[in-house]
Amino acid sequence: METFALLLQGMATSFELLNLGLLIFGCLIGLFVGAMPGLGSVNGVAILIPITFIVPPTAAIIFLAAVYYGAMYGGAISSVMLGIPGASTAVATVFDGRPLAVKGEAMTALTAAAVGSFVGGTVSVILFTLFAPPLAEVALRFNAPETFALMVMAFATFVGLGGDDIPKTIFSILIGLVLSTIGLDLITGKPRLIFFGIPGFLHGINFLVLAIGIYGIGEMLWTLEETKGKVQMSKLSVNMKEVGRAFSALKKTIMAMNIGSFLGFFVGILPAAGATPASLMSYGITKQLSRNSKEFGNGVPAGVVAPECANNSASTGSMLPMLTLGIPGSPTTAILLGGMILWGLTPGPLLFTQQPEFVWGLIGSLYIANFFTLVLNIALIPAFLMVLRIPFAILAPVIFVLCVTGGYAPTQSLHDVWLMLLFGFGGYMLRKLDYPVAPAVLSIVLGPLAEKAMRQSLILSDGSMGIFFDFASKPIAAVIMYIAIVLLIMPAFGPLYRRFFKKT
Amino acid sequence: MTLIKKISLVIVSLSLVAVSSVSSAKPFSPKKPIELIIPAGQGGGADEIARLVQGVIEKNDYASKPVIPINKKGGSGGEAMTYVKKKAGDEHTLIITLNNVLTTPVNQPELGIDFFNDFTPLARLITDTFLVWIATEGKNTQGVETFDDFIALAKQGNLVAGGTGSMSEDELLLGMMRGQFGFDAKYVPYDGGGAVAKGLVGGESDFTLNNPSEQMGFYQSGDSKALVMMTPERNPAFPEVPSSYELGYPDLEYYMMRAFMAPAGIDAEVEKYYTGLLHTVYHDDEFQTFNIDDGKLMSWLEGYGLKDFLAIEYEKHGEIIKNFN
Repeated sequence: METFALLLQGMATSFELLNLGLLIFGCLIGLFVGAMPGLGSVNGVAILIPITFIVPPTAAIIFLAAVYYGAMYGGAISSVMLGIPGASTAVATVFDGRPLAVKGEAMTALTAAAVGSFVGGTVSVILFTLFAPPLAEVALRFNAPETFALMVMAFATFVGLGGDDIPKTIFSILIGLVLSTIGLDLITGKPRLIFFGIPGFLHGINFLVLAIGIYGIGEMLWTLEETKGKVQMSKLSVNMKEVGRAFSALKKTIMAMNIGSFLGFFVGILPAAGATPASLMSYGITKQLSRNSKEFGNGVPAGVVAPECANNSASTGSMLPMLTLGIPGSPTTAILLGGMILWGLTPGPLLFTQQPEFVWGLIGSLYIANFFTLVLNIALIPAFLMVLRIPFAILAPVIFVLCVTGGYAPTQSLHDVWLMLLFGFGGYMLRKLDYPVAPAVLSIVLGPLAEKAMRQSLILSDGSMGIFFDFASKPIAAVIMYIAIVLLIMPAFGPLYRRFFKKT
Repeated sequence: MTLIKKISLVIVSLSLVAVSSVSSAKPFSPKKPIELIIPAGQGGGADEIARLVQGVIEKNDYASKPVIPINKKGGSGGEAMTYVKKKAGDEHTLIITLNNVLTTPVNQPELGIDFFNDFTPLARLITDTFLVWIATEGKNTQGVETFDDFIALAKQGNLVAGGTGSMSEDELLLGMMRGQFGFDAKYVPYDGGGAVAKGLVGGESDFTLNNPSEQMGFYQSGDSKALVMMTPERNPAFPEVPSSYELGYPDLEYYMMRAFMAPAGIDAEVEKYYTGLLHTVYHDDEFQTFNIDDGKLMSWLEGYGLKDFLAIEYEKHGEIIKNFN
């Protein structure tokens, strides 16, 4: 009951004129940075931090959280409309969002993205409101062995993608893993795999460089070849029938919404993971558990809902360790955390009791920000659809420019632009040879997280792998690890099971 | 006559040159946004100070152009330092330092960074301190009340230290302590000070050597406590924590410097401008209050004093690395 009163007070705080204005403004900026390839919530929030010195901390966090939030919605727009991930968190949205748009169902894809984001955001903020303190305890107990087990599970969901060629999937995962080891050894700090001693490799391969290369440039080359430049996007009329069709398609995505919301939130509250791994994992698991998993990748609404639901859910979730433990759950919350410290707040276990107005103002504002971004998004869909009316001859150079700026923005080095072009060509070749590219993207995101967690665990256990399977001392890690193994071997038994299931 | 004429001509022309060079030496002011390179990731200690400096400059309009922080965390600062080295003579680039600017040139000679000739040191603003932290409820450190209790326990068995890894300050410091007190401990690296603090309170590690701000939340909530601060005197932000000098370990003294440098080969006017800008920031009330509350030491140093300090620290770190390996 006390929680409820505090929450209402928090919502009231968000409706104060300054806060509400900043909230809406923040959502709009977020939509923009999210939609611009290369600019994501990390850059958006980092650029805007100095502005927040002028307003009180509560208004500042409401503003920045709205930017963070808006960016989670916005990322889907360029993923669907242009086939370039607008932000790292929206990479998984390309997998099915783009094919839907090409099939002429962009309306459905955008609606699914907006509604999925809303559901994920709302479920997670409710979970946050009700269970913040016990969940903080879970996050605290979730250490290196548990994190590694979770990463193995994520890889298992991708290896076990029904329908895809498993050896080719494993090959793709390995390419991603090799790319992810370039840069700096996580434990010793020594440079490794610095090709030709080029200093640009010191910061490793930025994940967005790979994703934009493969999906932006590679996709463009593919489309040009397939259609010889005569791309025709069909069915662009926006009428009530279309809207109705878009919403009725959502009925089949209830499972994706559940997986996205709960898994996203859970991955979000774990330190150092964040929305990008959450959206990829949620996509993988939804595909694995779906009845028509073969359809994934060819444009199914559930394939858009799952990652979009998860990235919003995870972004809310990642605020939990930030507020209660003072550790960032994602790169963006790392910057928010820096901001909080600069505003004179000390994140940590006492924040809820010492600064209730700040914390509940933030939580309250998340409910409101969710609502506003949904409305804004649905209202703007016709405007977004205009993009598809542009002839491809004009659109292709625009996409190319966006890819180049997107590749340059995260690290501001030209080295990465060349790499991106290289990956674009490589991605195109892989696609021609019928290799799945999504697993490579997944492993460059999860590779460093998995490697670090594994090496930390092995230092603790003096090199024994037993630490991941020990029910007595690390029950959570062991359970997740065994689930991962089951997921890994499921594709072998899956067809048998299905046949058996159908006959009875 | 002709000789005198010639000489006078030379004198006149020389003085003209002198006059014109004096008149052209207007005070420098930035003509485009200033890049502030951070040789570490987002959300860490250096990042925090860099963004605070940016905020203070922008809020008060201390500079005519905006300051843009750019994180280049690769290669323990190697990426950032290579970048600044290439920018020699650039008047719109600054770098904030961690101690990794002292260690990375030594650890990674292949980068070809010459610490003394590739940078123009401007000023040191802050020094950050280090403390030995344990969890209040730590299962392996029960009954540890003082630093001496801790040393005795550490000598007995395998305690696990959490730190930020990759030859970072706390890893070197642990190496120093191992040599000095003759104990051994496993060292588990995490992503940044916040994760280190969480690993301690979550029971994965037994002690850490964190900066104050990184452990502040858990310190205030009583989940972790500090045994010693590695300074000559107690710090007002941690009144009950003894200094290493009080405990009789004057060799246990270590700091993180937060200084600013520009690339090599900039004009004296430019150097003067940025040093002045940093000085204004240093004396800003908000900047002072924030850092003092955070347990940091305000320690302005510029010019020759700074150069001497850097030379001493560079040598000291070379020694620590040699012993560490």
